[in-house]
Amino acid sequence: MEISVLFFGVLSEITGTSRKHYSGIKSFADLKQRIGDDFPEIVHYNFRIAVNNKLVNEDPLLSSGDEVAYLPPFAGG
Amino acid sequence: MHLINGPVTTGAISEIIAKGGEDRECGAHSLFLGQVRRDQADGKFVRAIEYSVYEEMVIPEADKIFKSIMSEFDDVKTIEIIHSKGLVKAGEISLLVMVSAGHRDHSSKACAKAVELIKGKLPIWKKEIFEDDSAQWRENE
Repeated sequence: MEISVLFFGVLSEITGTSRKHYSGIKSFADLKQRIGDDFPEIVHYNFRIAVNNKLVNEDPLLSSGDEVAYLPPFAGG
Repeated sequence: MHLINGPVTTGAISEIIAKGGEDRECGAHSLFLGQVRRDQADGKFVRAIEYSVYEEMVIPEADKIFKSIMSEFDDVKTIEIIHSKGLVKAGEISLLVMVSAGHRDHSSKACAKAVELIKGKLPIWKKEIFEDDSAQWRENE
């Protein structure tokens, strides 16, 4: 599957990017593993996951073309 | 909900207030303005905050806030939200919430609730820029 990953807030800084594309992704667990390999320091941060603009609470089922966002705790207002 | 580049200007605030007056069923408008505070951390003062937003998600999430407030406070007619993106200096406004209702009870309570929901639920992040140009990401309390 082709998955776009967006990084926001502090995560965009520690990964050095706001967007990264992944190919050949088999599952969300696989995506998490690949992101962890690319950016090992990400494990030290709190974040939630959104898929196609919707927050998810557990490992989501992904489809090719999905946009997965890594969201640190919100800090608006 | 509107996003504005930089601070919420006095012009934008006036426009929202004028628009509120157009609904003749309203008897009360509650206005909240969030200002960037010159906070201090480790002996350094904040000179500005840089806001970043997940724009594709913030609009549907703001819509959920509107629906939640309208269903909890049935006297509310409209809710206006303007949030800054980009750089806002200390002393400038980064958030406007105006709730218009038939009567003051729901307008003030709904405005307070809307501000809490905005702070908790909208995908917006802030980075404090200090007077020495160092910076740190800030979480809401």
